Amino acid sequence: MIGDTKLLNALSKLVKRTRADGVGVCAHAKTRRVFRFAHEAIHQDLTQETVNIVVKVRLDHRVGVASTDTLEPKSLNRCVRAAMDIARHSPTQKDLPDLPRSYRARTKADYHLSTIRNSPSECVASLQHLFHLCQGVGAELAGSFVTGEDEFAVVNSGGVACYAASTVAGAKLVTMYRKLSGFASGVHRDLKHLDVNELLKRSLSQSLHRREPKMLPLGAYEVILEPEAVAELVTWLGYIAFGAKSVEERTSFLAGRMGERVMGPQITIYDDGTEASGLRLPFDFEGTPKQRVVLIDRGMASGIVYDTTYGARFGHPSTGHGMPPDEVEGPLPLNLAMAPGKTTIPEMIRSCTRGLLIPRFHYVNGLLNPREALMTGLTREGTFLIEHGKVTTPVTTLRFTQSLLEAFSHVLGISKERRRIADPAQEMGCAVMPALHLMKFAFTGRSET
Amino acid sequence: MANRSFPRDVALQLIRDLKHRNVDYADVRAEHLLHESLVVEQGHVSSISLSESCGIGIRVLKKSSWGFAATPHLTRANLARASAQAIALAQAANLLNKHPRPLAPVKPVRATYRSPCTVDPFKVPLSKKLDYLLWANTTLLGPDTIKRATSHMDFYKHRKLFCSTEGAQIEQVIVESGAGLEIVAQHGHEVQVRSYPNSHHGALAQAGFEYVKQLDLVGGAKTTQQEVLQLLRAKPPHAGDTTIILDPTQVVMQLHESCGHPVELDRALGQELSYAGGSFLTPEHLGRLRYGSPRVHIVADATIPGGVGSCGFDDEGVPAQRVDLVREGMFVGYLSSRESAARLHLPSSGGAMRAESWSVPPLIRMTNVNLEPGDATLKELCRDVKHGYLLSTNKSWSIDDRRLNFQFTTEIGWEITDGTIGGIVKNPLYTGITPKFWGSCTGVGRREDWRLWGVPNCAKGEPMQLMHVGHGASYARFDGVTVAPAQ
Repeated sequence: MIGDTKLLNALSKLVKRTRADGVGVCAHAKTRRVFRFAHEAIHQDLTQETVNIVVKVRLDHRVGVASTDTLEPKSLNRCVRAAMDIARHSPTQKDLPDLPRSYRARTKADYHLSTIRNSPSECVASLQHLFHLCQGVGAELAGSFVTGEDEFAVVNSGGVACYAASTVAGAKLVTMYRKLSGFASGVHRDLKHLDVNELLKRSLSQSLHRREPKMLPLGAYEVILEPEAVAELVTWLGYIAFGAKSVEERTSFLAGRMGERVMGPQITIYDDGTEASGLRLPFDFEGTPKQRVVLIDRGMASGIVYDTTYGARFGHPSTGHGMPPDEVEGPLPLNLAMAPGKTTIPEMIRSCTRGLLIPRFHYVNGLLNPREALMTGLTREGTFLIEHGKVTTPVTTLRFTQSLLEAFSHVLGISKERRRIADPAQEMGCAVMPALHLMKFAFTGRSET
Repeated sequence: MANRSFPRDVALQLIRDLKHRNVDYADVRAEHLLHESLVVEQGHVSSISLSESCGIGIRVLKKSSWGFAATPHLTRANLARASAQAIALAQAANLLNKHPRPLAPVKPVRATYRSPCTVDPFKVPLSKKLDYLLWANTTLLGPDTIKRATSHMDFYKHRKLFCSTEGAQIEQVIVESGAGLEIVAQHGHEVQVRSYPNSHHGALAQAGFEYVKQLDLVGGAKTTQQEVLQLLRAKPPHAGDTTIILDPTQVVMQLHESCGHPVELDRALGQELSYAGGSFLTPEHLGRLRYGSPRVHIVADATIPGGVGSCGFDDEGVPAQRVDLVREGMFVGYLSSRESAARLHLPSSGGAMRAESWSVPPLIRMTNVNLEPGDATLKELCRDVKHGYLLSTNKSWSIDDRRLNFQFTTEIGWEITDGTIGGIVKNPLYTGITPKFWGSCTGVGRREDWRLWGVPNCAKGEPMQLMHVGHGASYARFDGVTVAPAQ
């Protein structure tokens, strides 16, 4: 760990000695330890440390960006020179937005030593235990186990100096029994609260069935989507519709529809990088404090997220959703959440005469027709047929092709329990999602051998 | 940007030290990466950035387990700590792993390799690159219906040293250049996108700035603009089973998803189950399964000049090679590593172990997975088509976790009627099952129309590694394919 004082000092010195009209520097230092395993063996393990420093300078209404991967003063200076050189050769830009100003913060609230102090041998011992449990029921196990720490810092010449340190631990468990497989994943800031035994239990509950998977006729089915499946879909909505760039380009289904009903009145989707139930980060890569933004309010198109650039274009302050300066996708919501409902998954199942229980989707793509939020994707492990209020038969892989605006307009229920869903091996993004009970979801294809 | 000093001596000292650390095998990769990205939008420079990364990755094999550690901090103390971490990970994994991990043999060599590059893109003045991008970009603008016009260039320089305890010492310098255009148009509720010369930054090659000039962005801009405006008023395709002809840009994605990934031997052995999934091409099918029609020949060719999957040696020091994957429609080969090749008793690794950077271990990755050309012209492929579609430029992609059921949409299509290519269709979608689809291949285009493209964002592994892989293809025709409008 670099530490707040050392990291902020290094960035502040860099900002002070850079002779430009404006300077912003963001840094992300990361360590990860990863074990990947399958078929009773660890086939890959790694420990990595990386640092990424991105410098953005302004010079006579020109902008230059350069990045490097070390805090060594020589390299940082070279990085600044490169950014200045780019700026000098760049055309002038009118209406450059002001840099975020005077925000100072330091937090280690999400940094847990128990996550970092776990030794490689202790990790392997945990995995041995899981393998032993699987062997006991005749199942096979594959997956990954990740721990790590992140430090983010942003300093600029407008008086911003902020720092946040956090840890992360996560596991993905795929269990296989005969022709069936199950999946469960979990992520937490504190390794002590990552209950891998519970994850294994959930994964095994999907795979330990004696019935052969059944091939279903194609068509529209009532579906109960578990939180991981909901997260896949809503994350795609974030990418294609909730950022100001997609609205400006008119590819977002929210473009020109603000205030209109786009989904059922049960659906509220928001982005909140400050919510403790998610993997929060209190500021964005420009050094703007994150705001809670309601995107869909009880089914109505309600808001989008901004950084300083798109905020200036739309006449709206930044909502704290700026990405690193070398990214070109515009502002994006990285902490999406859906408001909880009042029911439970068992209650949803009991109320379903014929439908599908889907724990997660695979390879969703939302680029088919973004204006309609038309998406495709596939079921994967643990998809079951529900008949007369009971989970009965596992089903083979199905492909859906479905407008989410249509699907999310026919909501039968939302669970009160929500799960935190994130990929602990990556550094950004988290979703907090409930389960969703939808009246109809169109399945258009199936896998065949 | 003047480069950070390349840690060559540090890497060589590390490998000398590792020979005395009681490991069965070790390799060290020192790498330095430069990436310049330029983006122009709506006639204005949107982003120019230059990134630099330099570090060392250490991989050890001790008894039954690997261990890998990586650091950008190149002091003696940090590197000693990274070595110790790699060994500690392998030792810990040995608590669980009981079976040895033999490696397929490779002759350790001292060698150098440089990818072909006539004009170093990092020495071309920024103003020249921007002038060209702005010129192409303004050509895209005009009608009010154009909501976004983007032109972009990307340049990469990757220098790396691989050394192993077996005695290999290989230095490589790989330069890549790429460019393209994308235009978004909207009229009412209709939004359409068109790219040139390929979507998803697919115009990328191991080459210098000369490649960018060959792409002729300005020349392609007008047609791109006309096509996107026509798409706003075009009809969708008819739903049903019909003949489709894919142009090389779409064959690329078809190859990538339905052949390149399922022939990765680590996937076939179940080692990617927790992330991207497995493969229907499991080892018992090798040499036995009919993957496609006899017209289908697919190779992994890391030796082809210009392909972004080309190299002198992979990241295990295995020489670049050309491997048959599908021969006359039969599944005959895998992309493999030294370890996975030994596990299947293959005579040698297929040389497909590649790492995104110094910070991650190599994985089995595509090199250049190519559909070998046939002999038909596009006109000949269309000739006996009563009704069908010519489809171009990938828009969306999705395939199941065993790589069987796929669905693609393309940016544009043209209706074919009685052998003649006619009007534009919008939002074409096609879907199928991999071996059934390739089994319906009734024609492959000639070498003159064969072209190499890049896929610069192939995701795999945990942590995710984005790899640049290449694909070469000509036109290809498939009969009885399910087509529908994506709406």
